[in-house]
Amino acid sequence: MKWNNVPGRRCDGVMRRDLLRIGGLTAFGLGLGDLFRMQRAAGMEHQPNGRKQKAKSCILIWLDGGPSHLETFDLKPDAPAEVRGPLNSIATSIPGVRISECLPRTAAMLDRMAIIRSMTSPLGEHNFGTHYLMTGYKPTPVLEYPSFGAVLAQVRTQSNVLPPNIALPEFRVGGGNLTGGGYLPSSTRPFSVGSDPAKSDFKVRDLNFYKGLDLTRLDRRRQFVNALDNFGSPDEKSGNGTGDPDLERAYRLLTSPDAKNAFKLSDEPQSVRRRYGHKSIGQCCLLARRLVERGVSFVTVNNRGWDTHNNMYTRLKEGFTGAKVSIGLIPSLDLALSGLIQDLSDRRMLDETLIVVMGEFGRTPKLNTAGGRDHWPRVFSALLAGGGVQSGQVIGSSDSVGEGPKDRPVTPTDLAATIYTLLGVDPKHELHTKDGRPIRVAPYEAEVVSEIIA
Amino acid sequence: MSAFVLLMALLSPGDEAANVKTNSVDFDNSVIPILTKAGCNTGACHGAAVGRGGFRLSLYGGDPDFDYRSIVLELEGRRVNLSRPDKSLLVLKPTESIEHGGGTRLEYEGTDAVLLTKWIAQGTPRVQSERLDQFHVSPEVHVAGRVGAELQLEATAHFTGGTEVNVTQWTVFTPEDAAALTIDPQTATARLLRRGRHIVVARYLDRVVPIEIIVPLSDTAVEMAGAPRHNFIDDEVLQLLSTLRIPVSQQADSLTFLRRATLDLTGRLPTIDGIGEFLNASGPQQRKQLIDGLLNSAEFNEYWTLQMAKLLRIRSQAKDSQGASTYHKWLKNQIANGTPYDEMTREILTATGDTHEVGPANFYRTVGGAREQAEFASELFMGNRLRCANCHNHPLDRWTQDDYHGLAAIFAKLDTGRVIKVNGRGEVTHPRTGAAAMARIPGERFLEDDCDGREAFAAWLTNQQNPYFAKAFVNRLWKSMMGRGLVEPTDDLRATNPATHPALLTQLADDFVRHNYDLRHTLRRIALSAAYSRSPQTLPGNRADNRFYSHALSRPLQPEVLADALSDITGIAAQYGDAPSGTRAVALFDPNIKSDALDILGRCRRTDSCEADDQAGGGLSRKLHLFNGELINRRNSDPDSRLAKLIAAGRKPEKIVEQFYQLALSRNPDERERTYWTKQVAAAIDAEQRQEIMEDFIWSLLTCREFVTNH
Repeated sequence: MKWNNVPGRRCDGVMRRDLLRIGGLTAFGLGLGDLFRMQRAAGMEHQPNGRKQKAKSCILIWLDGGPSHLETFDLKPDAPAEVRGPLNSIATSIPGVRISECLPRTAAMLDRMAIIRSMTSPLGEHNFGTHYLMTGYKPTPVLEYPSFGAVLAQVRTQSNVLPPNIALPEFRVGGGNLTGGGYLPSSTRPFSVGSDPAKSDFKVRDLNFYKGLDLTRLDRRRQFVNALDNFGSPDEKSGNGTGDPDLERAYRLLTSPDAKNAFKLSDEPQSVRRRYGHKSIGQCCLLARRLVERGVSFVTVNNRGWDTHNNMYTRLKEGFTGAKVSIGLIPSLDLALSGLIQDLSDRRMLDETLIVVMGEFGRTPKLNTAGGRDHWPRVFSALLAGGGVQSGQVIGSSDSVGEGPKDRPVTPTDLAATIYTLLGVDPKHELHTKDGRPIRVAPYEAEVVSEIIA
Repeated sequence: MSAFVLLMALLSPGDEAANVKTNSVDFDNSVIPILTKAGCNTGACHGAAVGRGGFRLSLYGGDPDFDYRSIVLELEGRRVNLSRPDKSLLVLKPTESIEHGGGTRLEYEGTDAVLLTKWIAQGTPRVQSERLDQFHVSPEVHVAGRVGAELQLEATAHFTGGTEVNVTQWTVFTPEDAAALTIDPQTATARLLRRGRHIVVARYLDRVVPIEIIVPLSDTAVEMAGAPRHNFIDDEVLQLLSTLRIPVSQQADSLTFLRRATLDLTGRLPTIDGIGEFLNASGPQQRKQLIDGLLNSAEFNEYWTLQMAKLLRIRSQAKDSQGASTYHKWLKNQIANGTPYDEMTREILTATGDTHEVGPANFYRTVGGAREQAEFASELFMGNRLRCANCHNHPLDRWTQDDYHGLAAIFAKLDTGRVIKVNGRGEVTHPRTGAAAMARIPGERFLEDDCDGREAFAAWLTNQQNPYFAKAFVNRLWKSMMGRGLVEPTDDLRATNPATHPALLTQLADDFVRHNYDLRHTLRRIALSAAYSRSPQTLPGNRADNRFYSHALSRPLQPEVLADALSDITGIAAQYGDAPSGTRAVALFDPNIKSDALDILGRCRRTDSCEADDQAGGGLSRKLHLFNGELINRRNSDPDSRLAKLIAAGRKPEKIVEQFYQLALSRNPDERERTYWTKQVAAAIDAEQRQEIMEDFIWSLLTCREFVTNH
């Protein structure tokens, strides 16, 4: 196939129309590598509305288990006690907007964020909800869709040694069914560092040379295993001599001192570490900042424990019964989120870093008999800040008891299209499954929440 | 009232389902299907457990009594307006004549809206002169000529009174994969967009049936006459391949077959002696003798105990591993003695006593709570997800809340501490009635005055006529041998999730029952089919096939099997927690025993089902560890390793390469490979570097694709 020297080609020689045609031709011998490279070229093609892409990176603070909207960003102080719940609301830096008493630092800088209070979904099961929120697609039995990080890893040219899609401390979300990569190659899946940055012995598993190994030997091993793979299974041979992409990336990571330094949290001054809070969510957010600073496209900070069916007050606020200083899930989120936004802002990185805070659904308007709330997808909240977000606003609202959206309902599909748009990926852009099927980045019916885009 | 006048002139097709004598609109058979078709009673709308906008319907109209009350009686009848029927909320809302959160669901003055109005004008009668007897779709199976073709779907309802009505208009047709075909909801015309085998689910009243639509993968027929046929399995598999026009790969060579069968039946790689014996036994009986030998080996017992232990989720409880150990020993005895599966199941379900002494009684400590036990038992023994029927009748199956809570009521009568005993008192609350649920055999009958319903449940379950028990099990056996279940997921057998080869599944189940529920018999049956012994090498026309068995599917070695293989080949056994040194991973009874190796390789902890394909870990993290972590590297460089001993014994590098090839890949290196490795070793400048090169060779062998898969 000849791509060059034809007038009207893009700089990489691929036109969008060609891509579509090629999409159907993979079975006839065009290497997947080529196809994926071309997907990349087209992915960043047109910016909707001629907008310049603002967000280079995204940090998703994932509140795994389904955070209660009624205890975080959408309190109902005027509702009956069984709806209102145990927490009070406080004023914020957006006039007239109140959020949880456990989020004082966030409240003070809420004018730098935007809340959507009318998120709505029909899916109240962890795996289903997680798939929907993290991909924009409802789950189906025939195909797993890729999460945001995987799509970014796919469409952006990767020149970085660090993996483009990283999960802290690991990517076990919403029950664990999601791989994160969906139908995209396994190399786009989130890389789990596998250890909690809040622990004193934190280090990325297997990143330092095993004793007796050195660069020469790693080189040799890489060469040997590629040779074996090509000898052993002529059928699966890619034909272009490149080996297992995961191995290639492991190799690059192992051989780069800069990449290793990215994970050295001990380089951060104590004052900075304290500002983020000492819990896992805080130190993960700090590490996420170090990573996006070094060009990582997408970091998932996976914070577990939000599935508060029982004992909600203690788990969300105090941390343990009778705690003098509250160290539950929400105060820890408060430290981490406010610390992250302040730090990014101080480093002039906030405009190019999109921050998203959400979980797979909200929680029931009425407290249950175990002092908790059960799954409730019909209405819940999400928070966005940084890169390209029109901050200082609350979008949509829920009804008087937080049971359903009152106005401006936003589906996870719409949110996905919005996140992609903020990150400079056209939601209508088509990716391809392994058998060449074209699939849009966000579903056909997705509508960008335009008022959130600055 | 123009709409009302109009409807008198029109005889809508739905009227045929109405009571003929009074000409009253039949609420159950005509009104509810309109609501279902319009999507009013889905889980996302008024069918949600708490309704929507204050209006609640039963999910997909599963409970007409409830819906009647909701529509006619609630809010003092505000939803219907008997004096001005066309001003009823039931009509105004879905036609969006007034504001409706769900938008326009029915056409203003369209047939459906008119029929609803008519029903209200008649005074909202609740007549159900006839019950739905049978529901048929046409076609049930269709082979289309090409992509782009259109296909008219039709549905017919047969009522108990003998009426037969074309209900296509009120049937909801949903494709499983919306990218494979689209269906026009107005005309029920399917338009085929992709090649392959596709499923459409048709729903009318409480019935859901699948439609299978096939678009062959090629425009030209493929020749099947030459493909080998060993037993009934091959007849079914080849027939579908022929319909789909997918060509069949060659049979695998002897050594590929040996490695595959040995892994599938014993969880081990063939030994070097085993390879020699197998090759010596050439002849028509070679493969049969191999299979029989494997089925009767001690290794088979150990490996299949692991497979069953994963299904039963045997694991230690907090601070108590004695129960798991007793359970595991019991299970291993059953496998070794060839206890029929039905007998084992009865013993498990009816067990009582001290779980430290009575192995099968631990079944009742595996999951906590009677409802959870009902879910577990139905998924395990019936391959059915009863759990959907906890909050509402199962939307895609026949299960009702009575079934779910009825089965739970059987288990509720047990004390499930360390000692399992029948207390006869426990109960579960039926969420609809608020009263204690009555014990019930799912889909069958209530059990009255029965203090321990487990006997009755076990007897029904393991009866030869039971439609679920044998199928659920042989489907899992098939998956473990062939790499994919005939039904996937294997715990979700239902009419609307049909097997790729329905007749084959039935035949396998019948064959299993006829042969006294003998695990070994069915495994032998599968192992001796030509479908099982196909080569993994694909042809241009069958490369994309991953479910029709035109070639062998390559699948990753299970974590325990891979861990043992690494120990066997390196010659250094892994240590698992405080288990005796030399214990194999396959033989461990407790998935919670400490082992970094098994964690990295992705073992299942058995707190939930282990049947989902392994997706955890993988990718970069695992590769990083294999490359640079302890798992392989420590043993590879150990002074007592097989390699170190061979080098110390003065064995030539070429011989060492050959031996490791045999151990890991069950074959000799070919000429290209020999040349390659000889050249690599020759590049060494001294003995130390030569050893390093050999270590790196072994490392690459233990991580290459051919080694880490069964193919």
